This record gives sequence, C-alpha cells and structure tokens, in this order.
Amino acid sequence: MHQNQNTSSQDSKEKRPKFFINDHIDILVEILKRLDGPSLGVAACVCHLWSTVARNDTIWEHLCFRHVSSPPPCSVRHVVVALGGYKRLYRVCMRPVLSRLSDSDMVKRVWTRDEIQLSLSLFCVDYYERSGRLGAGGGGDASASSLMFLCNTVNV
Amino acid sequence: MKREHCHSSATASQNNSKPEYSSPPSSALNGKAKIWVDEQGYSGSGGMDELLAVLGYKVRTDDMADVAEKLEQLEMVMGSAQEDGISQLSDTVHYNPSDLSGWVQSMLSELNTGEDMPSINGPLLAPGESSTRTSTKFCNSQRTRVFNDDSEYDLRAIPGVAAYPPAHSSSETESTRKRLKTSIGSNSGGIEVSGAVSDPTRPLVLVDSQETGVQLVHTLMACAEAVQQENLKVADALVKHVGLLAAAQTGAMRKVATYFAEALARRIYRIYPQDCLDSSYSDILQMHFYETCPYLKFAHFTANQAILEAFATATRVHVIDFGLKQGMQWPALMQALALRPGGPPAFRLTGIGPPQPDNTDALQQVGWKLAQLAETIGVEFEFRGFVSSSLADLEPSMLDIRQDEAVAVNSVFELHGLLARAGAVDKVLSSIKAMKPKIVTIVEQEANHNGPAFLDRFTEALHYYSSLFDSLEGSSGPSQDLVMSEVYLGRQICNVVACEGGDRVERHETLTQWRGRMDSAGFDSVHLGSNAFKQASMLLALFAGVDGYRVEENNGSLMLGWHTRPLIVTSAWKLASSTE
Repeated sequence: MHQNQNTSSQDSKEKRPKFFINDHIDILVEILKRLDGPSLGVAACVCHLWSTVARNDTIWEHLCFRHVSSPPPCSVRHVVVALGGYKRLYRVCMRPVLSRLSDSDMVKRVWTRDEIQLSLSLFCVDYYERSGRLGAGGGGDASASSLMFLCNTVNV
Repeated sequence: MKREHCHSSATASQNNSKPEYSSPPSSALNGKAKIWVDEQGYSGSGGMDELLAVLGYKVRTDDMADVAEKLEQLEMVMGSAQEDGISQLSDTVHYNPSDLSGWVQSMLSELNTGEDMPSINGPLLAPGESSTRTSTKFCNSQRTRVFNDDSEYDLRAIPGVAAYPPAHSSSETESTRKRLKTSIGSNSGGIEVSGAVSDPTRPLVLVDSQETGVQLVHTLMACAEAVQQENLKVADALVKHVGLLAAAQTGAMRKVATYFAEALARRIYRIYPQDCLDSSYSDILQMHFYETCPYLKFAHFTANQAILEAFATATRVHVIDFGLKQGMQWPALMQALALRPGGPPAFRLTGIGPPQPDNTDALQQVGWKLAQLAETIGVEFEFRGFVSSSLADLEPSMLDIRQDEAVAVNSVFELHGLLARAGAVDKVLSSIKAMKPKIVTIVEQEANHNGPAFLDRFTEALHYYSSLFDSLEGSSGPSQDLVMSEVYLGRQICNVVACEGGDRVERHETLTQWRGRMDSAGFDSVHLGSNAFKQASMLLALFAGVDGYRVEENNGSLMLGWHTRPLIVTSAWKLASSTE
C-alpha cells in the first residue's frame, strides 16, 4: 500500500512540472506591477528576492501612473528619477495626496493631471529641502519637514 | 499665574506638614479645603484647621470655604489697586492676626470704606456694556462705588465707542459693572440682567472664561484707546489687567492677548523692540511658519501658476524675486518648467535680500542649492543675488535685463514695508515698470494696518491676528514649529502696535488699496486662472484635520482665508497696454 501511494504521487508529480515563482522573475514583476501600494509593501516583506524585486522603480512607476487618464510625457521619468525615484514619490507625495483628496477607494479612481502636478511639485520641494538639510551627506530617507503636513493622520 | 502658584503651594501643603505660604492661599484652598474637611473629619482644638494652625492662623474648618472666598476677593481687589490704595490699609490696627477670617473681613470692609480709593472692584476694568450679553450678572454691592470723575484711576472715564456703547445713563454706569461670578456678602440693590440670583454662599470657582474672553477684548480695546489719548497711567493699569485676564484663557485667545498686551506694554513704556534683528533669525521663523500652515505655500503655488502661464511660450525667462529668503518658491516652478511640453526654457533667477550681519552670503548659498536642483532636473539655470537693505535702492539697470528674455517680478510680503518711507513704493513701482515685466505677482496680507489712527490699526490687527492664530491652533505638526510660527506672528504684532514712523514696517493694506496703487502706477490686472484656483484648493485640502481654510476668487485675485476672514491675497499684474 505504501508503495502504491508512492507510485501514484510520483505519477502525479511527473505529470505536473514544478512551478516556483521565484524562478520566473519576469512573471513576478508582472504580478507585482498590478498590486496597490500597501500590498506591494507587504510583498516586499516576503523574502529577500521579493524585496529586491519590489524595489524596482518601474513597478512603482506603474503604480503611480496606473490610473492616469493619459500617459505622462517621457520627460517626467527623468525628473522623477533625478528627484528620488518613483517609490519615494509614491510614498511621500502621491499616496498622501490621493488618500486625502479622494473619499472613495483610492485604487479605482482616475487620477487627474492636476493632482499629479501637485504631487510632482511637492516632490520637488521635498528634494530641495532634503538637499539643503543634508549638507554633509546623510540618510536620504528623512522626510522633508515642509511635507510633514502630508504625513499627519486624517480625521475621518 | 498667581493662582497657579497658590495651587502648587496648596498641594504641597497636603504633602508636608510644614508648608510655606508666601501669599495667602486663595482659590486653590477652595476646592481643596472642602475635600479636606470631608477627609479629615478631625475636630481637635475647637474645630480649627490643623495645617493653618501650624502656621499660626486660627481658622475654623467650617469657615474654610468662606475664608477662601474672602481671600479670593481680597486678592482681586489688591491685584488691581494701585500702590496708593494698599498703603491706606496700614491705618488699621489688627489685633488678632491669627484670626484669619476676621482680619480678611476687616481688610475687605476697610477697602470698601476708604476715601479716594481707586476703583478696585476686580475686573472693573471691563466696561459694562452689554445690553447684548444676557448672561452677565451685575452685582451692586457695597463695594461698588462712584468715584470722583477726575480720579485718574477711574476707568469708567475712558470714553469711546470702543469701550462703551454711546447712550449710557450715569445711574446705570455705576451698577453695570461687570463682575466675576463671585458673590459678596450683601447684594444690596443688585441689578441682575439674567434671571439667576447669585447665591451668596456658593463657593468661588474660576471665572467663566467666556465672560473673561469678552472682558479681555474690551480691556485691550480700552487700553489701546487710553494709549491713543496718551493717558498712560490708565493704560498701564489696564495692560496689567489684561495679563490677569489672559491667564484665564486658553488656546489662541490667550496667545493673541499675550502678544498684544506685550506690544501695548512696549508702547507704553517706550521699550521698542530692536528692529535690527538678525535677518537669518527672521528667515528661520518664516520657515517654521511655512511648514506649519498653508499661507506661504498658497502664496508660492498661486504666484508660480501665474508666472508659468505668462511664460508659456518663452524660451528664456528671468524671474526677479524681491525677497529670496530660502528660495522655497522656486523648486516647484523649476519642476513645472522642466516638464513643460516642448521642454524647459533657460531659467534665470535674480534674488534680492537684506544685508547679513555676519557677512555670510546667504543669497549665494540659496542660489547654489537651486542650481544643484536645476542640474538634477535638467533646466538651464543662472543665478544672481543682490544685497540691498531696501527695495527702493534698487535700480533696474543693475539687474542686467537682456533683450530676449521674458521677465517676471515676484514679491511676497515685501511691498508693504516700503510704505514706511515716503515715496519708496512709487519709486519701486516705477522701477518695476522699467524692467518691462511680462507679469508681476504680488502677495500681501489682506488687512488695513496702516490707517492714520492708532486705535483703528489696533482693532484691525486684533481681529486679523486672532483669525490667524485661530487657524494655527488646529495645525497638527511638531509643536516647536507651532511655537516658532507664533513667535513670527508675534513679532509682526509687536511691530504694528508698538512701533511708529520708519520702524513700523508691517504696514499691511487691503487688496482694494493695492489695486488702486497699481492702477494709478500704470498696471493692469491679470486674472489668475482656474488652474491656480484648483491647485490652491487641492493644496488646502491636504492640510488634514483643519477644514477652516477657504480659497476665494476676488476679481481675478485669489484670497486665502480662515472661515469668513480673508487673510492673504495673491494678485497678478502686467503693464498697462497703452504704450505698446
């Protein structure tokens, strides 16, 4: 009986090829591209590989501009990357801006150009403040104080 | 503050057996005494209070509340009396000072019967008006007196619509003194507006802060009026009283009152604040103000939007900033220019700033930071700094304006200072015209703090800064930012109230007044578009938890206000198209 089970499980094993998501990074990226911000954060905690993949800025770029009615001009990427990258843009500006300005589920709504422009402006201010603050190098993660008002919790 | 001290000493008394009283325990005893009597249940030596007995005072525990009440009254009376008044007390001989209740009572009655005493009925300083205030209780006891009209301490003599409504019969004046919700022994002939009768045995509580709030405002106004009439002794008495009333307040009201009282005191005693304070210090204060509340951000974003729209087709642009400070306005503009469809123009910035006391080149440092940002985002950038103690010293030829560039002039809170010197603002406006700008953006406070009469300026400023402080109250940033922002505003208050002549630089004027000035100087108004309005509204919506801010459009200009009161205005101008 023992042998029977073994052979039957072996048969089923042979029929189905093993699939390990970590062997297929491109598929992983495609999946992560479709997640929302918090889920992406959770995904980054799964394992080292996922954490590295989740740090990929293109994933965050997709997140930032996913629901834009028209795709942003290519010049935007250069500016955003120079100012700190899409992940930071999302974390520091876009997420707070959108959560403050929308009443309904943030994921589904269309982001207007104005909101994006405002986020980008605030992002630039953030960079400027950080660059001024860290005269002699330092953690690039410190949030600029003029944007502290974005970090405060909203009274619902 | 006196009360708090007594509080702590009273609490100390419960812990130690040998407390030290430096002033008679007043209201603090009140609540504590009652608890004490209940808890103690001790009735040794004829029911005398034990703790006080240690000090040498004999007070019956049953009388404690009563004694506390009397001490409270005495404190109020003595607090507002001038020194002459207190010296009158020395005539009486007290035979039994350990009988605390007795001598307090005798002091009180003495103060009531003294001749030529200043009117010392506690918060008598608040003029009694209030036909509109139905909750006011009026008590006319043996303590209210009619004093000689020519006594300089007779504060009822302060005339003025500001303090009193005009039609006031003299008989009412005496009895309509506003009082604390205290009760004094006898209410002979008390006139009460509200239906409630004050209970003589009710223990004293802290004053109703709403009543004192109104009292506070009236006292401030009365003080300002006294100052205007050079009646400095009265003003002095009043300003001290303001301090007392302000201590009973909380929040924005307290802060505003404190700053205004300090400014009035400076004016009375002629201790003018040094105006040559380090400009980097005021820059730091302004940074905190920038971070705490949306006013400066609003100013920057709306002005930038106007400049952006004016520069829509230009390939070389030159912005002249009348007050560069930390350059916080320009990153956002540079970013918007960088992402302009068709690519960014060449961006040139001229920043003007005051001379630094320590000779550091603050302007160059800011220019350097902006240059780094420009390089990061790919905008061709050039910077020039000009140090000048006054904008009127600037000549357009110094600025090296080139032929092919579009010029914008930007002034955030810089123009009102020019009104302190005659002719300065006209010179600056003609300089601006000589620069041939495509657009001039001006942000100013929306208030008239430059009227000829001191009292009018004071009243306006009181309302303006009350709204401003109110809006800061809800801000939920780090408390240090809040404090620094308040200091920043406090310095403005001090300048408006205490300074005169060339020193008074916070000469705010309303949009209407600026419009008149710009029109007669040869400028046409440019309407700020709906983009600016949308951005401003979104920006405000981001300030979480504080929903009193309002953006309003006023004939093409945008105003940011707190609830119904507009506080700052952004307006845009271009050269009147008559010549070309």
